[in-house]
Amino acid sequence: MRKLLASIQKEYRILIRDIGGLSLMFIMPLVLVFIITILQERTYQTIGETRVPVILIDNDLDSVGAAFSQGVKDNRFFEVTLICGADSVQMVETRDDVATGKYQMGIIIPEGTTGSIRNRVVALVQQQVPAMMNVDTANLKQSVQVDLFFDPITKESFRNIIKSNLREFSSKIETRIVFITYSRIIDAMIQQTTNIEYPEAPVIEFDESYVCEFGQKDMPSSVQHNVPAWTLFAMFFICIPLSSNIIKERYDGCLDRLKTMPVSYITVMLGKLLMFLAVTMMQAAVIVMVGIWIIPLAGLPQLQLGSNFAGFIIITISAGLAATGFGIMIGSIGKTYMQASTFGAVSTVILAALGGVWIPLYVMSPAMRQISQLSPMNWGIQGYYEYFLRDAAFTNMLPYAFKLIAFFIGCILIVYFYKKYIRQ
Amino acid sequence: MKNNILIEINNLTKIYLKGREPALDELNLDIYNGEIFGLLGPNGAGKTTTISILCNLISSTDGYCKINGYQVQKDFKHIKHFIGVVSQDIALYQLLTAYENLFYFGSMYDLPRKELKENIDYFLEKMGLFKVKNEKIKHFSSGMKRRVNLIAGILHKPWLVFLDEPTVGIDVQSRMVIIDYLKELNLKGVTLMYSSHMLDEAEKFCTRIAILDYGKLLAIGTPAELIEQYNEHCANLEDVFLNLTGRHVRD
Repeated sequence: MRKLLASIQKEYRILIRDIGGLSLMFIMPLVLVFIITILQERTYQTIGETRVPVILIDNDLDSVGAAFSQGVKDNRFFEVTLICGADSVQMVETRDDVATGKYQMGIIIPEGTTGSIRNRVVALVQQQVPAMMNVDTANLKQSVQVDLFFDPITKESFRNIIKSNLREFSSKIETRIVFITYSRIIDAMIQQTTNIEYPEAPVIEFDESYVCEFGQKDMPSSVQHNVPAWTLFAMFFICIPLSSNIIKERYDGCLDRLKTMPVSYITVMLGKLLMFLAVTMMQAAVIVMVGIWIIPLAGLPQLQLGSNFAGFIIITISAGLAATGFGIMIGSIGKTYMQASTFGAVSTVILAALGGVWIPLYVMSPAMRQISQLSPMNWGIQGYYEYFLRDAAFTNMLPYAFKLIAFFIGCILIVYFYKKYIRQ
Repeated sequence: MKNNILIEINNLTKIYLKGREPALDELNLDIYNGEIFGLLGPNGAGKTTTISILCNLISSTDGYCKINGYQVQKDFKHIKHFIGVVSQDIALYQLLTAYENLFYFGSMYDLPRKELKENIDYFLEKMGLFKVKNEKIKHFSSGMKRRVNLIAGILHKPWLVFLDEPTVGIDVQSRMVIIDYLKELNLKGVTLMYSSHMLDEAEKFCTRIAILDYGKLLAIGTPAELIEQYNEHCANLEDVFLNLTGRHVRD
């Protein structure tokens, strides 16, 4: 036990004095969590969460124009700049602003829109009411052309969503005019003023949420993905300092010296394993704390924790073991620092890419999702998703923990058989 | 003395790669208790290979060796407790201080903590390093590193020490400190097996010398016996060495 404690103490001292290694293990993943979270935030947000800059020219200057402007303003999709009564120069400037990307969309409500719609609706209503037979059929054919112009980079899907929303507004306005017109006719027929307001609130409301095992959670954000994903990346990145540590010990002759001393190779490696496992635990703690307290300061959503903290701990320990096992394997098999650090960095990036660190698993194609199951980082992410996104039970996280522990055991067995082979 | 064999090397052969010349070719040697035994030879003679096999760092292709009756490859766990190894490399952690290095290596021998600390202080004082004991090894000169490297091998007070070129690449002063202390150790009964290229040092230091070349034993005896044996052409050990191994350059 004393030998193991001495080994842990030695590793600790070497680690805290290796500024480069420490920054690789702590600062690099924190910077990555910040940068990638900020970069992915816009991509992550659904169209409903992103406010599109829109310029609206209301040349109608009447109730339809006002209602339309208000409808667009109230919509969470849009960030509206309103111009009431634009001249021809302003119209041209508006088109230029959209063309240069200042606005993603321009809407022009033409002059007389209210009148045209009103005439059409009134004519429509008059057709239905036998008491009023003076129907102007020309009004029934009237249509209003609202000009929409888009930034050329705007996607087709986005344009369709916008048009669909605008149709929804115009339908609402039309319905309201129909309602008001009918109200007036009925008032005239019964010779009473009813003053019934058109109900603005929709009949059908949608209540959206992601379903979790023990209740409902908020919508996942880029933080919910990036914090666990980059925690795993950071953990696996310790394979570089860990493998370099092993190779340096071998090259300096320290390992040979230890082999001539009454201490087992397992004790020496266990000292490294426990120290670097502790590092991975610290990495996870620091990155999660940053997700809870620091990331929100940058205007990003706060990391939401699940309720089964024991599950988080078991996934973190298993992932830490898998990462240290991987580092020990690279350090034991690698011949030079260059070989180990290059292989360590490249393999970590590949495992991360396959495992769903860079791109979330649910965005991947079905084939890639199958392949990604080969990566231990995938098992870690799946385990963390159970905790951070699905708020699942402890038992749901165990299969991923077992896979990670099996990976660790596999790495250690490879080292054992490799050493045996080399010795022979 | 012959009843007092500490190291027995029997037909020891080492071939690193099949088809290549053997690094050791059926080497036979007996080393006795209390000796300062020198293993001399040009580059590639087999000195480091011999010491590495005796320290169980590599395995032999053929033959065997015993230390104090224990077969090295089978019973090394018993041997570990009474041997010390001072390697040719500076086998120290560069980011640790001299004291931390020694404390770590000393901890592997189950010495009581107090005794270990006393030993460290004693050896650091003896080697003139006490004042810099809390400085990192990476800031030490070559001579200082060599001295710490030596202490790390003898801290637990072994009674057999393997020294693979312990004074290579250092100044005369540091060399003197090391050699003087090794003599002192030997006087206390510690057996030393030493390899070096420094023939004048070996001539003065060793009680018995073996000259190897191409993995074969060429000559063995006390320095005086070897010089005596080649009396006609040789005035000192260096002459004997050149006489036996030739003057051509080795890789």
